[in-house]
Amino acid sequence: MDMTRREAFKNLAKGSLPIIAAGCVSTVLPEVAHAEEEKVAPKGALGLLYDATKCVGCKSCMVACSSANDLKPDTRIDGIHQAPPALNYFTKNIIKLYRTADGSDHSYFKQQCMHCIDPGCMNACMFGGLRKDAETGVVWWLGSKCVGCRYCEIACPFHIPAFQWDGFNPKIVKCELCRDHIAKGAKQPGCTEVCPTNAVIYGKREDLLKEAKSRIAANPGKYYQSKVYGEHDGGGTQVLYLSRVGFDKIGLPEIGEESIPSGLKYSHMLYKWMALPIALYAGMVAFAGKNFKDHSHHLVEDQKKTGLRPQL
Amino acid sequence: MTRWERSVPVYGVPVLTRGFWALLALVVVGLALTAVREVVGIGGVMSGMSDPFAWGLWKTFNVMVLTGLGSGGFAVGIAAWVFNNKKLHSVMRVALLTSCLAYWTGLCMLGVDVGRPWNFYWVVMPWTWNLHSPLLEIAVCMSLYASVPLFLENLPPLFEYVIYEWPQFRGMAEVCEKAMAKVFPFIVALAYILPIMHQSSLGALMILGGNRVNTLWQTPFLPLIYVWAAAFLGYNCTVLCVLLAKLAWKRDVDPVVMAELNKLTVWIVYSWTAFRFLDIIVRGKFFHLFTDGYFSLLFWTETALILGSAYVLSTENGKKLGTMFGAHAICALGGMIYRFSPTTLAFHAKDGATYFPSAVELIISLAFVSIAVLAYLVAVKKLAILPGSNADWLKMAKYEEQVKPGIQLTGYAPVEH
Amino acid sequence: MAKDAIEKETIAQSLKNAGYSRRDFIQLCSTLVATAPMGLALTEKTTPAAMAKSIAKAKKPSVVWLHFQDCTGCSETLLRTTKPDVADLIINLISLDYHETLMVACGQQAEDALNSAVSENAGKFVLVVEGSIPTKDQGHYMMLGGKPALQVLKEVGSKAAAIIAMGSCSSWGGVPSADPNPTGATGVDSIITDKPIINLPGCPPNPYTLLGVVLEFAVMGKLPAVDELKRPKFAYDRLIHDHCPRRAHFDAGRFAENYGSAGHREGYCLFKLGCKGPVTHAGCSTRHFNEVVDAWPIGLGAPCFGCTEKSVGFRVPLFTRVDVHTATPPDTYAPISGSMGKFGAAAAGLVGLAAGAIGGATWAASQRLASSEETIAEEAKTPVGGK
Repeated sequence: MDMTRREAFKNLAKGSLPIIAAGCVSTVLPEVAHAEEEKVAPKGALGLLYDATKCVGCKSCMVACSSANDLKPDTRIDGIHQAPPALNYFTKNIIKLYRTADGSDHSYFKQQCMHCIDPGCMNACMFGGLRKDAETGVVWWLGSKCVGCRYCEIACPFHIPAFQWDGFNPKIVKCELCRDHIAKGAKQPGCTEVCPTNAVIYGKREDLLKEAKSRIAANPGKYYQSKVYGEHDGGGTQVLYLSRVGFDKIGLPEIGEESIPSGLKYSHMLYKWMALPIALYAGMVAFAGKNFKDHSHHLVEDQKKTGLRPQL
Repeated sequence: MTRWERSVPVYGVPVLTRGFWALLALVVVGLALTAVREVVGIGGVMSGMSDPFAWGLWKTFNVMVLTGLGSGGFAVGIAAWVFNNKKLHSVMRVALLTSCLAYWTGLCMLGVDVGRPWNFYWVVMPWTWNLHSPLLEIAVCMSLYASVPLFLENLPPLFEYVIYEWPQFRGMAEVCEKAMAKVFPFIVALAYILPIMHQSSLGALMILGGNRVNTLWQTPFLPLIYVWAAAFLGYNCTVLCVLLAKLAWKRDVDPVVMAELNKLTVWIVYSWTAFRFLDIIVRGKFFHLFTDGYFSLLFWTETALILGSAYVLSTENGKKLGTMFGAHAICALGGMIYRFSPTTLAFHAKDGATYFPSAVELIISLAFVSIAVLAYLVAVKKLAILPGSNADWLKMAKYEEQVKPGIQLTGYAPVEH
Repeated sequence: MAKDAIEKETIAQSLKNAGYSRRDFIQLCSTLVATAPMGLALTEKTTPAAMAKSIAKAKKPSVVWLHFQDCTGCSETLLRTTKPDVADLIINLISLDYHETLMVACGQQAEDALNSAVSENAGKFVLVVEGSIPTKDQGHYMMLGGKPALQVLKEVGSKAAAIIAMGSCSSWGGVPSADPNPTGATGVDSIITDKPIINLPGCPPNPYTLLGVVLEFAVMGKLPAVDELKRPKFAYDRLIHDHCPRRAHFDAGRFAENYGSAGHREGYCLFKLGCKGPVTHAGCSTRHFNEVVDAWPIGLGAPCFGCTEKSVGFRVPLFTRVDVHTATPPDTYAPISGSMGKFGAAAAGLVGLAAGAIGGATWAASQRLASSEETIAEEAKTPVGGK
């Protein structure tokens, strides 16, 4: 029997009630939701400041990184030289070269994990395989929680986490600011220790930010847009960049000031306390229950007429 | 043409056909390659994935696209049970079966795709969950859905099989049936809320892709558009299954049910398309519809395939079975392309990075699809899944009573439910 | 060598007697500092003048030099020094009490010289061994005064204060130990295990390495710091590769492909010609030979063959390339965005096939259904079969 218009409206009204209720609950909570979304760098946040104008492309940082992290150098290019084309599962740090087609302008770019304040990779990881140290803010990988789903690679706007594509027991590899190396007694990460021009330096994020800004103030017009990349980009990162050449040219994407995970804030609102799903579920149980009762009666009647066993 | 009143198994057709063996061969090859992949890793020859394109075919096609296609269970189900559309009851079993198979093979494919599957056990320990992660929601919700409500919803045909074929277990089966009937609303409501949640989370996944997902697809409403697309894909799949049944096994078609399915499909598609355009306009990206080169072309292709098919369905021509079949197929194609775009086709990972699946990746993907197809073929021939009339049942009963003497398929006195 | 008063004389006295000016002596000390600026207690953190003072006070060390299965190249290398020249060296800085090549005596006189040098300076002299010691067939492949080298070494070595194995042969076997090693040639430290031994491998090694070791022993009373193969760190802590003047060519990927080729003439890296620099520890790249600049193998366009290393020299064929263990970046850079991702023909074919098959089947199905001319239009709803 088809529904009459009256029935349809009644059902619609009944159905909307839980939805409206849930909606009210959800909309009242955005302020609460938003407050807890606000992410700032931890007090003792550590980071790097890379000044591309000081880098001479010697790549000692790549050698030092391989040695500090016990990684074998990527010599797949010719079997002799360490020359990875990009970050990979045994290259945590790389120097890249930006060069114009006619060779008239160039700049080096040191690429490694940005240690974001609100990391997309950490937000993505299902079971907390990527964690952010509460004191230093270093983002590091915990193998026992990693499923190897590679969602972190999708979520990182800087294309940093590298997956071990070959072999059994694959890992996700990225710079961890020499967490283990420092735990064993080193004072600094490998790269900053060997840099001959101090193009990359290590320290507290607030100190590095001050230093970067003082360099900008002391050299007006030298740095691109007089801006420190990472101060606010992507919600702020602990690795900061200064460059003469445009950031997008050297490989730092324009991602605005919102962190990657902030895109999910509406979804989070909808799921707050599971209110909406539970309300919907309750509504559907009510409707399905009633409709099923009607249906069962019809089944019994049909069975009487045909003698065929009713199908659930 | 007939009136569908119940589900009737396909009878008089052998299970082990040539097509069956061909697909089985593909499955065997695929599983062998899967074993190799578990040992040698995911890269190299095994797949075309690389760091910029960390998700290849398996997650995006076998899971995201095919579970969209397998959303008949909840899409048709909500219309049938929540909105009391009685016409759709007869096709529920087909929709549920396709959902079950799409989800189970999809979850197996997921297990093959991840690099460290032995750590998946954290999924049953809620205190370790990262509640911010959309993928967690999918992992928990999909696993729960496939193992509990979807599985339970697909049990009734099995109970019936036991009741008819194995009389010694009839009592147990009847008890199970009664128990299910008692909790039926709770099961089906769970079977609707869970897919709404995870099909939308499948959309939420690519929100974290930021501006690498082209702006014509990237929206905070991606979850809503994804689950809405799953809805019409579910209808497409259901219609295609029953029409293919007519083609392959000369089953009859119920014009009223088909008209209803078409109507709902058209309504969902129109509202979906309208919302998509509204979203693009409100976000201020209207001009990207024409100025984004390849991406604009992709968008219009999707829209043309989906909207065009729906329009055809709504015309007189759409009432012809041949046209209907073509329209639903093309609509499904468009919907599948839509679900595939944010992760792959409209995903600009990094300058210079490209992705194309490797041969091995394709074979493994197709093998898992074949498992679902094979299981479907066996199921519809052994169990009462495909819709039919009471007269069809009687014909089937006559045939079966000749082949299996002693089987009782008719003459059941009414029982209490 | 005269027995008289040599033991008791200090080096200062000896040099003065020889008419060596203080200036010359300081010059010698400067040379020593340049040779071994670090790793030698004698030269470390000190000025030539201060060094001269400490050396001057030391007693002239007694040195006994034994030759076994050798080519005398290690002695020859000592002869190729001019600051000091050999005469000075032999007479004034050290007391070379026994050296078959350089001494005048022969026959019975020579044997007596050895016996007296050993007995008079027992426990105090430095034994320098040149050449490997055969061990097969009771070691009769090398006889000295009717006794096998093995026996001579044990006898003389037991009385020495310290043993310096000069050259690869005495350090680990050298040339005579090359496959199939018919004489069972081996180095000193496989035979003597209870004395301080220092190995100076090389074929030959740099003479100033020996001088540094001997003087350190004379002045400080101990041997310099050594690595796990008993080689003094100040001279053997570095790979040839890491200090090679042609390293820039290696890093830039400029290699000599053949002897006499254009690259070879340009002085390009010899790695592809089988240079063993990347696996050889020695100081040759910075301290050349014969006191002539660039007088060392690579400087002359001949690849290093790893003469100091037991696993390399006389073992790995000359033209065989070795692995570079600590690879360093070359002259090329990764681009900001390189191309990544492959497009396999087989895969493309498979996709085409699958798409074609499914597309074709869908089309065929649609046509078949169309041909049945069935429709769900209102008009066709009339007599619906069955009930």
